[in-house]
Amino acid sequence: MRWQYIGDIIGILLIFLGVVMVFPLGCSFIYHDGSLMAILVSMAATLCTGTLLFFASRRPDIEYINPREGIAIVALGWAAIGVFGALPFYFGDAVPSFTDAVFESVSGFTTTGSSVFTNIEGVSKSLLFWRSFIQWLGGMGIIVLSLAILPFLGVGGMQLFKAEVPSPVPDKLTPRLSESAKILWYVYAVISLVEVLFLMGGGMGFYDALCHAFTTMPTGGFSTKNTSVAHFDSAYFDFVFVLFMVLAGINFSLHYQLLRGRTLIFWRDSECRFFLLMCLTLTLVVTLDLYGSVYDSMTTAFRYASFQIVSIVTTTGYATADYELWPGLSQSIIFICMFIGASAGSTGGGMKCARLMVCMKYCYRELFTLIHPRSVAQVKINDAVVPDHVLKSIMGFLGIYLFLFVLCTVLLASMGVDMLTSLGAVASCIGNIGPGFGTVGPVDNFAHIPMAGKWLLSWCMLLGRLEIYTVIILLVPEFWKK
Amino acid sequence: MVLQVLKKIFRSHAVKIIIVGAGEVGYHIASRLAFENKDVVVIDKSMEAIRRITENLDVQGIIASGSSPEILEKAGICQAEILLAVTDSDEANLVACLMADMLSPATRTLARIRNAHYDTYHDAFKKAPPHINTVINPEIEVVKTIYRLMKIPAAVDMGELVEGRVKFVGLRLDKNSPMAGVRLKDFASMFGQTRPLIAAVVRRQELIIPRGEHRLEVGDLVYFICENNRLKETVALFDTTSIPLRRVMIVGGGRIGERLASLLEKECIHTKIIESNLDRCHVLSEEMSKAVVLHGDGSDQNLLLEENVGDTDVVVALTNDEETNILVSLLAKNLGAKSTITKVSKFSYIPLMSTIGLQKVVSPRLSAISSILHDVRKGKVLSAISVLGEEAEMIEAIALETSAITGRPLKKISFPKGAILVSIIREDAIMIPSGESVVEPGDRIIIFARRQVVHKLEKMLTVKLEFF
Repeated sequence: MRWQYIGDIIGILLIFLGVVMVFPLGCSFIYHDGSLMAILVSMAATLCTGTLLFFASRRPDIEYINPREGIAIVALGWAAIGVFGALPFYFGDAVPSFTDAVFESVSGFTTTGSSVFTNIEGVSKSLLFWRSFIQWLGGMGIIVLSLAILPFLGVGGMQLFKAEVPSPVPDKLTPRLSESAKILWYVYAVISLVEVLFLMGGGMGFYDALCHAFTTMPTGGFSTKNTSVAHFDSAYFDFVFVLFMVLAGINFSLHYQLLRGRTLIFWRDSECRFFLLMCLTLTLVVTLDLYGSVYDSMTTAFRYASFQIVSIVTTTGYATADYELWPGLSQSIIFICMFIGASAGSTGGGMKCARLMVCMKYCYRELFTLIHPRSVAQVKINDAVVPDHVLKSIMGFLGIYLFLFVLCTVLLASMGVDMLTSLGAVASCIGNIGPGFGTVGPVDNFAHIPMAGKWLLSWCMLLGRLEIYTVIILLVPEFWKK
Repeated sequence: MVLQVLKKIFRSHAVKIIIVGAGEVGYHIASRLAFENKDVVVIDKSMEAIRRITENLDVQGIIASGSSPEILEKAGICQAEILLAVTDSDEANLVACLMADMLSPATRTLARIRNAHYDTYHDAFKKAPPHINTVINPEIEVVKTIYRLMKIPAAVDMGELVEGRVKFVGLRLDKNSPMAGVRLKDFASMFGQTRPLIAAVVRRQELIIPRGEHRLEVGDLVYFICENNRLKETVALFDTTSIPLRRVMIVGGGRIGERLASLLEKECIHTKIIESNLDRCHVLSEEMSKAVVLHGDGSDQNLLLEENVGDTDVVVALTNDEETNILVSLLAKNLGAKSTITKVSKFSYIPLMSTIGLQKVVSPRLSAISSILHDVRKGKVLSAISVLGEEAEMIEAIALETSAITGRPLKKISFPKGAILVSIIREDAIMIPSGESVVEPGDRIIIFARRQVVHKLEKMLTVKLEFF
């Protein structure tokens, strides 16, 4: 482990974070909301630390980052960004303690969207902008962004790319990594821009439209309103949000292929098809469940059901209705949706459809071989065989995911949080969703969780965003041995 | 409309290169090209090979057969500028090139073909259907290199530039050499006009580009350039001992061994070939007229003693097994052979060879890489030879009027750090440049460069206009 190398790259990431604080600074300048000093101080602190780290650990002239260093850089880099991204909230007096600031910032960068703000509309505009903006940065990945715009990482970049991109088998779109990273960010930015236009077309102001686009595309879920999207109470906006949440939940390499002219790709790709069909089926079931019991008309039931299902499955976490008031069937479906998550290679969290599909096919193969003991069968996705090592790593992932869910729930409950809230909060944070159940439901917030619980949940969010392995491996003693 | 704009944006501007075969040759070429910011796609059937290459290099890997047209299409053959077929199988390489020609006639193709039966047909491939632009047979190059190394016993590395008129030679300085301890700027007073132009020095595995103040030390590996007709005198400056070549023993009668033996036979040098496969021995004995073919194990001490290895001038170890080659050379040295040449293919072994006392090493893969890189380079680069196990390159190019190096005194041109202009060839004269020299358009220049700066240099040698 070459620490100077790790320090050097984390230094660069912090400098980068300091530089992008220019945007909320500009926002504060335009709206005169009194957060100018807070942001300036945060920016200075971040830039100074970054520069110090960069110069204190000038990297020796080596071109290869080994996998272990790659993991350390990504995991520690994200932690550092989470802490420094919290400074504006802390200095801006938006939160009572530094813990809360870090929780809010990590929730932003990991695109979770769980908030500790009790009165969102009381927070200054520039801080709310920063809160949305960090979700947008975190969505496609800070490391991927730096690979796209800073050619400094060279050969080692692949290790970092693999550690950050949420997919069981990260694949490059083009031969060169920086080119692939650029394409991903480009597609991401273009779709975000289109969403801003759609929202403004419906009569939303530029500021709100931008902030909401910044949190839809990364499937984040922060809103600038106390009551989230329910504030707008418009079927048009609901429709636009559902559309873009679905787009954000689809593998971005498919968007790229669509833009290159392969029009049927969403249907041809088996994971995407699975994802779309799942959204549709669950929506229909929940609609039928809600019709008559909560809503009187089928269309209203469909509108709220589709929004909530898509919002939770894609791990966005916007709310237009309080699903805690819904019947048991709908609530159970929503709870289970928190685990499924969006497609691999999308900005969404959770376990990912691809893993689930592989798991189901693997289980079926096991049953099949019980019936035909001599059969030779392969697990296939998109007509390609899933290699054995990928299969094993997916099974391991699902196992660790569930184990950590249980462990963290018990830990949180031991801090005095009730069972339903613990289950909901942990499932929501580890899946990067946002709202949970019990006292952290869609109309509540996380402010009342004990301090240790907030740190635990922040850690869960990092676990979820970096797909467990990258973070958990830092706790394995073998990792630190020479 | 929007689609077209997007398509344009997404089209990469870098040169796209497809490599079929991710073996040792494929891997190293990919590593060099990826380093020079080219878009590289590698196709190989082995998952392990693709995993290794995509984990370590910034390239795209496809696990499939490179001779399948479907796969080539998927890899983007139509946008590719060059296809390099470098698998171990001649047939697979030929088919890959044929398919590439069918799908995208504009793509330049290059194949590594080692079977001697094709030797005389390399040019025919260009005109007839597979339309392979370049056929590379590293074995021909290796045999040439081995022969050159035999002729100059002190040299450990050697290559030709400017159609053989200029040679570059790597020599190890020993205790007796008059050059040990001399500063480079004193060379002119010591040796006058015949002074060798020193391009680089390798000291303790480290490459140094020397300036006037540097002193040469005993044990340095010195790379210098000289004209072909002055080679003997120049080498004599370094080392006085020079023995004529009379007896050669070749261990391993494979394709390279056979080629080398026939060449030596023509030069009337007494040759013995040791080969462990009896059938192969029969074939060799049919082919050879004077060379002695021996059936046996080259690492068998008794056999070597029996065949008088102590009186042999050069023992060449050319079996297909690296470790055997190394052992045979060590054994032969121990038994009194004057010099040994070892074939080593695994790159990780090459830096170790001098530590265990084996100075002369040849690698068919390395020469394949040199030839292929030469072919891939843009601009007016005439040849490029990898030296020091591809740590550096000797590049020969024509200075274009538009390139950044012409028309000004050299001291005003900022060369990338780690590159040195070692000579200028104008018509027939070969000049050693100084700070005041001016490169004129049309001159041939020879540059020695570390691999890290090769891509910068390449830009410099091509057109200046690209920047504006």
